Amino acid sequence: MARARRLLPIYGLLLPGMVLYGLWAAYPLISSFILSFSEWNLTKPTVFIGLDNYTRALSDPLFWRSLSSTLGYTIVSVAGQLVLGLGAALLLNQRIPGRSLLRLVYYLPVITSWVIVSLVFLFIYNGQAGALNWLLKDVLHLISKNIAWLAEPSTALWAIAILGIWKGIGWTMVVFLAGLQSVPRELYEAAAMDGAGAWARFRYVTIPFLRATSTFLIVVLTIGGFNAFISIFVMSSSATGTIGGPLNSTDVALTYMWKQAFTQIDLGYGAALSFLLAAAIVVVSVVELRLARRQETA
Amino acid sequence: MQQPSFRRLLAALVPIPLVVSACLGTPATTPAPTASSGAPSAAASSGGESVAPSADVTGTVTFWNGYAADGEEITTFTDVVLPAFKKLYPNVTVNHQEIPYDDLRQKLVTGLAGGTLPDVLRADIIWVPEFADMDALLPLDTEMSDFATISGQVFPGPLSTNKWKDHYYGLPLDTNTRILFYNTKVFQDAGITAAPKTIDEFETAMAQVKTKLGAGHYGYAEGGTGAWSILPWIWSFGGGITNAELTTATGTLNGPATVAAVTKLKDWLDKGYISPSILGGGVATSEQFGKDESATILEGPWMPGIFKNQFPTLGFEYATVPAGPGGSYSVVGGEDIVVFKQTQNKEAALAFTRFMLSEEAQLAMGKVGQMPVLSSLAGNADLPDYYPTFQEQLKTANARTPVPAWPKIDEAISNGVLKALRGDASVQAALDEAATTIDGLLKGS
Repeated sequence: MARARRLLPIYGLLLPGMVLYGLWAAYPLISSFILSFSEWNLTKPTVFIGLDNYTRALSDPLFWRSLSSTLGYTIVSVAGQLVLGLGAALLLNQRIPGRSLLRLVYYLPVITSWVIVSLVFLFIYNGQAGALNWLLKDVLHLISKNIAWLAEPSTALWAIAILGIWKGIGWTMVVFLAGLQSVPRELYEAAAMDGAGAWARFRYVTIPFLRATSTFLIVVLTIGGFNAFISIFVMSSSATGTIGGPLNSTDVALTYMWKQAFTQIDLGYGAALSFLLAAAIVVVSVVELRLARRQETA
Repeated sequence: MQQPSFRRLLAALVPIPLVVSACLGTPATTPAPTASSGAPSAAASSGGESVAPSADVTGTVTFWNGYAADGEEITTFTDVVLPAFKKLYPNVTVNHQEIPYDDLRQKLVTGLAGGTLPDVLRADIIWVPEFADMDALLPLDTEMSDFATISGQVFPGPLSTNKWKDHYYGLPLDTNTRILFYNTKVFQDAGITAAPKTIDEFETAMAQVKTKLGAGHYGYAEGGTGAWSILPWIWSFGGGITNAELTTATGTLNGPATVAAVTKLKDWLDKGYISPSILGGGVATSEQFGKDESATILEGPWMPGIFKNQFPTLGFEYATVPAGPGGSYSVVGGEDIVVFKQTQNKEAALAFTRFMLSEEAQLAMGKVGQMPVLSSLAGNADLPDYYPTFQEQLKTANARTPVPAWPKIDEAISNGVLKALRGDASVQAALDEAATTIDGLLKGS
């Protein structure tokens, strides 16, 4: 009884959070899952259609295309964030004047609003009057004709991925900085005394200690990449008037799901697509973790 | 034992939210429509709907519209139209919300799901078949006792955009079309003396702009390859999208006349006569026009008011779309006024709808670029002096295919023409592909 009296206030304090979670996370999740087995267009009654939505998705070429675009976007943005984030962390781990200010500056993009930043980059990427074209054509003379970065199917998705990289470097840098603090100073000194150069020190001292951090970052950044939506939604619909960009080249899984659910008003299909995406994210994350674990024991 | 009972307690608590959500159930039912649906057999609307303005009609009417915030449309609506309505119906309050076009459609979808729709909507004409098919609108021909009178007073073309499967689900509110706006300064600098009347004259004029004014100057700018943008050219060449019965696109969209139209556009793009903004991702056409970068654009009757604010010193004139082998054709645009089935204030909503079609309201909005649909106002002296060219063009303006699948059809056309213009496929192949896609979409509806 004494234990119950001790535990009751604890669970009492936890209860409001659980209720909120139930209302805003669990309930929508479950009803969405049930919806994925039905057909619903907002005004007509919901019709149960079993696995039809899922079989339709698996044979829908546009869905597979959106998945491959998602994969491409994720690979590019994750790689970019990791490499540049690690670089920034290594540089800003040195004792240099203005280090705190620089770390702040690098982190600022992380806290900006996705929508605002997407709109700003829309101007930068504009095919006729954009800053990037001005820089490359009129200042550096690297290209001879303006490129419509967001309207060209071959460049649109990568242009948006660059925005994703720029926005995420600061966060990756901060996590790497934390990881770098766990590297014992004496190891660097010992390695230097043994004649190891900067690259060797990095390879044999720093990297092993960053393994856990890197695994964490890869998994989290991949999940983020698969969930990319706002920048692609804002930039492709503003640049070309269609969500999905020029010739559907920037359609990622979430924008395709959005179109099916809210533009074509086929909500059951949209729900099924979202769960297929969730399954894909789980599979990719598990694979990444397994690979990381195998590397560790190797 | 410490651990087992802790675990038991936790296990007991965790399923609570899941059980609660399962009990709350799934969205298996639609938001129940509260207003009675007008059965086709009902002659007059139920409840003795009062036609004459009176203080008996009460309620609040929520009215969503897309009137431009940077024009005189909204100020005229709030300062002229609403007070006049208030005089006739003192006990009706009108809550109006101005929502930009793209957001408006999204808000309607959200409203349909959540049951938070307005009572009355100023809807784009292309939305009406879709919403009517979803059974979201009141069939006004059975709900309004004086529908026959009112529909007899409006232009038949705009009225037809409200028809879906034997019923009329709205009334036309304003109509518009796109005509050629030409920049007088650029014309002068390029040595063009008169507005081009035919496509050949238009091509010559564009060539002159290129030779005399050089890079960065174009004869014509378009913002994309959607139906709204390119149908005037396709129709003026004698082409089209579907056959007359609206059953198939093959033979029309990929027929020789349409192919000729798109080939000509590609030719102009390659020669540098038209701005690359047609491929997307460029500067807005109104900006290019206002900054003297484009000699001509196709625009609607709302633009002169906007140009007055944005580019006060800009000099421009109007002409009908250059005529091709098929004639001079343009797209019919405009808005219809519709009432949602879910409305709780049917009488007030119908009274407001009726008032928006009165001569007083139509004339007031007509003065600020919302072309009236009442035939009695054609040629009215109080309307802006630039209306005659628009009204001339409206005589040969076509409506876009009135089927619920129109947005997907539009996307197929847009992608097909874009592929052709970019050179990713030959014009014929790109249009063949689009026609096949549209055949499938038409079969579905």
